Amino acid sequence: MPHVAVTALGADRPGIVAAVTGVLMRHGGNLEDTAMTNLGGHFAMMLIVDVPTAETAEVLEAALVAEVGVLGLTVAVRPIAEVDTDDEAGATSWALSLYGADKPGIVHHVAQLLADHGANIVDLSTRVVGAGPDHSYVLLLELDLPTDADVDRLRIELAALAADMGVEAHLRADDADVL
Amino acid sequence: MLATPCAPVGEIDERARHLGRDLVDTMRGSGHSVGVAAPQIGVSLRAFCIDVSGHPKARSCHGELVLFDPVVLEAEHRDVGREGCMSVPDLTGDVARATRLVVRGLDLDGEERTLELDAFEARAAQHELDHLDGLLFLDRVVADDRVFRRRVYR
Repeated sequence: MPHVAVTALGADRPGIVAAVTGVLMRHGGNLEDTAMTNLGGHFAMMLIVDVPTAETAEVLEAALVAEVGVLGLTVAVRPIAEVDTDDEAGATSWALSLYGADKPGIVHHVAQLLADHGANIVDLSTRVVGAGPDHSYVLLLELDLPTDADVDRLRIELAALAADMGVEAHLRADDADVL
Repeated sequence: MLATPCAPVGEIDERARHLGRDLVDTMRGSGHSVGVAAPQIGVSLRAFCIDVSGHPKARSCHGELVLFDPVVLEAEHRDVGREGCMSVPDLTGDVARATRLVVRGLDLDGEERTLELDAFEARAAQHELDHLDGLLFLDRVVADDRVFRRRVYR
């Protein structure tokens, strides 16, 4: 069955998940990977949904807008192509944490450094901590590195970048133990 | 089965010893596993085996350890580490576990043993003990956004 990507965003309130997933269920959709979280008081939903062939993204979007528009959500549904089920064989998993005084460009500079090293970001979240001009910023990300990546060099460059921005950054191997 | 609390083994007879050998064989057969609990091989009894020999995160190491009807006597401190499970393919999660554990149970000879475990051996034992209570690491992750996909989205 084809997949669609559903995104929805609106001021947080009870009932959003129930309403959106109810519409998807009644249209024969089956939720696959999803991420839904509260971002600064707005509830953001991203869902990969397996849908019957007869259901088009346009029809689903129209149904969602009609049925959950009352919740004040901005909704979009787009068809997505099937993705190669590559296992990223040979990649190693790492976690990067960064925190410090907020300033524009932190995420971009870190992401650019990682991209230059061939890293693939697989999960990223950031939080503004505190309020007012002295608020802090926390960045947590998960990345895959090619096995031939120069991790020592990446660490040195990350430390230099962090020093430039006046933040703390740490990169650690994310070696899960299968028990 | 995996979500059901297991029944006590009771007397360590030939049937129990056979289960113990099955657990060890399964652990060895998987190659990368350091522990297996009975419900993971379809037996709803309170038994597990672990072996953290040679693991870089291990401090205490009792070698190949099979325990029946294990009971936790003491658990101290907590530390977060990332775990995966043979019964939950593709996912890993960050789980807080006691870093020091005193556990009592019966060995393959039916002898009562009280063992002090720490570091990775303590983590492995707690993961297996959870299986005996019908709990997976997914029930223990420290926050719902601390679950990660081991591989890219298919």
